[in-house]
Amino acid sequence: MLKKLMVAMALSASVSTMALAQTPKEGGVVNAVIQPEPPGLFLPMVQNGPTQMVSGNIFEGLLRYSKKLEPQPGLAESWTVSDDAKTYTFKLKQGVTWHDGKPFTSADVLFSVNMLKETSARARTNMVQVDKVEAPDDFTVVFTLKQPFGPFMGIFEVGSLPMVPKHLYDGTDWKTNPNNNAPIGTGPFMFKEWKKGSYIRMVKNPNYHEKGLPHLDEVYWQVIPDAAARSVAYETGKVDVLPGGSIENFDVPRVSKLANTCVTGEGWEFFSPMAWMWINNRNPILANKKVRQAIMFALDREFARDVIWNGLGKVATGPSSSAIKFYTDDVPKYPYDPEKAKALLKEAGYKGEKIRIMPLPYGETWQRWGEAVKQNLTDVGFNIETIATDVPGSNQKNMEWDFDLSFTYLYQYGDPALGVGRNYVSSAIVKGQLFNNLEGYSNPEVDKLFADGAVATPDSKRKELYDKAQKILVEDVPVAWLLELQFPTIMKCNVKNLITTGIGVNDGFRDAWIDK
Amino acid sequence: MLSFVAQRIVKGVFVLLAIVVLNFFLIRLAPGDPAMVMAGEAGASDPQFVQQLREKFGLDKPLPEQLGIYVKGIVTGDLGYSFRQEAPVSRLILDRLPATLLLTLTAFAISLMLGITFGTLAARFAGTWADTAITVLALLFYATPIFWVALMAILLFSVYLGWLPSFGYETVGANYTGWQHALDVGAHLAMPALTIGLFFMATYTRMTRASMLEVKRLDFVKTARAKGLRDNIIQRRHVLRNALLPVVTLAGVHSGTLIGGAVLTETVFAWPGIGRLMYEALLQRDYNLLLGVFVVCSAMVLIFNLVTDLVYRLVDPRIEFAS
Amino acid sequence: MMKFWKRMLRHPGGVIGLIIVLIAIFIALFGPTLFPNSPWRMVQRPFVPPFVNPRVTLGTDALGRDVFAGLIYGARVSLLVGMVSTIVALTIGVPVGAIAGYFGGKVDDLMMRLTEFFQVIPSIALAIVLVAILQPSIYSIVAAIAIVSWPPVARLVRGEVLSLRTREYVQAAVVTGQSNSWIIWREILPNALSPVIVLASLMVANAILLESSLSFLGLGDPNLMSWGYMVGAGRTVIRQAWWITVFPGIAILLSVLGMNLIGEGLNDALNPRLAKDSR
Repeated sequence: MLKKLMVAMALSASVSTMALAQTPKEGGVVNAVIQPEPPGLFLPMVQNGPTQMVSGNIFEGLLRYSKKLEPQPGLAESWTVSDDAKTYTFKLKQGVTWHDGKPFTSADVLFSVNMLKETSARARTNMVQVDKVEAPDDFTVVFTLKQPFGPFMGIFEVGSLPMVPKHLYDGTDWKTNPNNNAPIGTGPFMFKEWKKGSYIRMVKNPNYHEKGLPHLDEVYWQVIPDAAARSVAYETGKVDVLPGGSIENFDVPRVSKLANTCVTGEGWEFFSPMAWMWINNRNPILANKKVRQAIMFALDREFARDVIWNGLGKVATGPSSSAIKFYTDDVPKYPYDPEKAKALLKEAGYKGEKIRIMPLPYGETWQRWGEAVKQNLTDVGFNIETIATDVPGSNQKNMEWDFDLSFTYLYQYGDPALGVGRNYVSSAIVKGQLFNNLEGYSNPEVDKLFADGAVATPDSKRKELYDKAQKILVEDVPVAWLLELQFPTIMKCNVKNLITTGIGVNDGFRDAWIDK
Repeated sequence: MLSFVAQRIVKGVFVLLAIVVLNFFLIRLAPGDPAMVMAGEAGASDPQFVQQLREKFGLDKPLPEQLGIYVKGIVTGDLGYSFRQEAPVSRLILDRLPATLLLTLTAFAISLMLGITFGTLAARFAGTWADTAITVLALLFYATPIFWVALMAILLFSVYLGWLPSFGYETVGANYTGWQHALDVGAHLAMPALTIGLFFMATYTRMTRASMLEVKRLDFVKTARAKGLRDNIIQRRHVLRNALLPVVTLAGVHSGTLIGGAVLTETVFAWPGIGRLMYEALLQRDYNLLLGVFVVCSAMVLIFNLVTDLVYRLVDPRIEFAS
Repeated sequence: MMKFWKRMLRHPGGVIGLIIVLIAIFIALFGPTLFPNSPWRMVQRPFVPPFVNPRVTLGTDALGRDVFAGLIYGARVSLLVGMVSTIVALTIGVPVGAIAGYFGGKVDDLMMRLTEFFQVIPSIALAIVLVAILQPSIYSIVAAIAIVSWPPVARLVRGEVLSLRTREYVQAAVVTGQSNSWIIWREILPNALSPVIVLASLMVANAILLESSLSFLGLGDPNLMSWGYMVGAGRTVIRQAWWITVFPGIAILLSVLGMNLIGEGLNDALNPRLAKDSR
């Protein structure tokens, strides 16, 4: 027996009524900043942030996600889940064509899944529970899982599983395929031109499968390497959209007040980025739970939020961001309490051994944050030395576990099974990567809770397991949680309807229009 | 003469090869590699992913083999492939070279013109307060961090006055042609070129001043004066012309240096040139691209040096063609 | 000696430069003792404008740190970077130049190829690469600046030695059987000193600028407050808080200007003949 979860048509209708509060105007050009310049635009092989932002409008996934992270139709117009939660059947939209005119079918989906499993580390993890993928006909795809996997409906967005044109890639060497430099997708915009160091230009797809979309004629992604110059470019009207993180936080309040300027923190729900410091549990001093707790009490995270992040974001209470499923704040609390931190350090017998701290080499905001944290820790008696590196240097140090405290921020992808567990379970302690359990924390109880949580049904059972895991983790402080980050998107107010989904600008130009 | 040139070219090629080999190892000494950078950017990675990238970049081969492959390429004029950007290095550099040359040469013309003018004036009033005033004025732009001047210029001319565009090479999407295009590029060029030009102006001012003072003491100038020629004419015909020789030499050296040295200005003004390309290649550990930029910049410096030397020697027959 | 000071003092620029640099050195030496507040401490709320709160005369930066304290401590770091890197550059450049000029022939050729090698790569590019390789710290910054700035020294010294070598008193020393190193150290170098001093004063200025450029690119030492660091850190907020960059910017400008003016003054005072090759 199959149970219909959602009827696509009803949902898309409700979305468009909201959007249609004003009648969209057709045409126009939008200039957006892209920072840094992406290394490539072929999303299935290059998955960094800027690539996702540009190519998310060229490629498409089977699903899109609302700001509340509910699945919405993308290339799949409807879907059903079997009662045992092990079979997912997707009905593909008919009449969809690639930018070169060839039709999009289930064969492309199968090909894409296989390709992504090779080229994308995240797709590989996401697909780990998948037993087989089949295509009974041209417009149906069936995923069969080994066991139920709670977050499965959350892995089909364009950045995680973009659709690749099989007819252009099958049987070729993917790495050197000429189409990598002029990507062909099914999306609302087509790649037109890339002037390296200057701009990327994409133009309207006249045959886009969603009738009447997109509204814009062209989008230019401007490459401007200096943050101060980016805000001037916006200010002088050369750029209409500053996606999250384009300008330094310290500049956000001023730019927000400029005429005809709208700011939103929305459009990052799917990622729910969370910042923390890895604490190297292998270091004998930091292996002491009391020292780790002392770090938490020493950090003035409200200051960090108010001064360094201009009041944007939230102080993190534990491993999960409050934006994702199964979050609980029923955990031990760590307010700013230097005296308590000093006491804990004394109890732990810390004698001023040197602790190295490594800020993220991502610009002024992160540098200032590193300085503030260093000062916080110095104030309670830590002996801190800042290690300066550039991006490759810090990646190497992290990959080789050569750090004491190291800043990071990672995406959580809406579900603890996708974005949280990986940072704390001992099976994720693998040298040579940057995103999973770098701290070396290992607790069999936590391992079991996360393992069970991923496959448990129903959700109430999952919640119980994750609540427990969060409590243990917050007590143990395997890493020092800092803030749930918010990256405000700043744009001219006449750019309408840009942020409509949980990944914001990354697939937002589909519905955007410009009011003249 | 010919053997002099040939000798210089041979020596130059050796210097270039040494640069290639040394930098090849130097760059690989830096922590991290391109695979790590890309793994970091991917937002997800595992050792398998990093290994795939290493293989793709050819970094899994032993170092001597990698060097062999690279040098073999260089000798045949092939600067290699940038795996990060999925393009041949030579194309990436050629794409950026015109913008850099335009910027550099304009900056250069500005600094020479202003420098020689100020230097001549300072020499004329040597030792007086006017001399000091000119020197200080010229030094002001030299002594201020160049990125700071750039930022101030943007604030003044782009934000407050709204006269000049603040970034880029041309108005994107305007599709100007002919004169309109030239004007558009010119408007974008003005601030970065002035920023660099004013910086180097100080050097030429000082150089011209010193050189003129020296020439003035030479016999032929004294003779000219004794013959009763007017001061103005002496200045222009004899002193300036001779004083410019060392200035030209220095200019030759600088013009090359400028090409790779415009990193800061190109960054602030988002000028799509070689300096930025180099800096980004460094941060991404794009080994081949970085080496390529080094080779091209160094080759240019060598060529410029040779050309200025030749000019110098042709103009001033007192210098022999011995090395 | 008296004559030198007389000449120097007649040169108005040189006097101004001397005063500026002496003040800077004084601050660098005694400032931190007189004003012991750490420049890293977050003492007030962020973005306090200058001349408003008497406890933070020059205002506070983006984290609420005292800009004045930063200036005082920055003087030490910036001048130290300038001077130490110049000394290191001199200890490489002078021997290389002297040996090349004195022995000539193959040795000269070899030394000059080596010099050329370092001179051909654009200096700022090489410095950036070196700091990136060694990873930013005060040592790597000094080393990188020294490595890119010694070639002009070598060239200058070589030229001087070449011409001094032929002088009679040197020839006399050779004839009397003095050792080569004795001749170089005792007879030649002291007489080649004045242009080197002029050049050195300019190198200090260049080093301060180069350090600020490296800081701008995020390649400064994060454990030390320098002027370049302050300018770099404040530039993104220049619109709402000009004072964070303007004060250290002026500090850099004045000290670089001072060094250059001294160089100019020395040039005219020490050696009116040799008034060229300032770099």
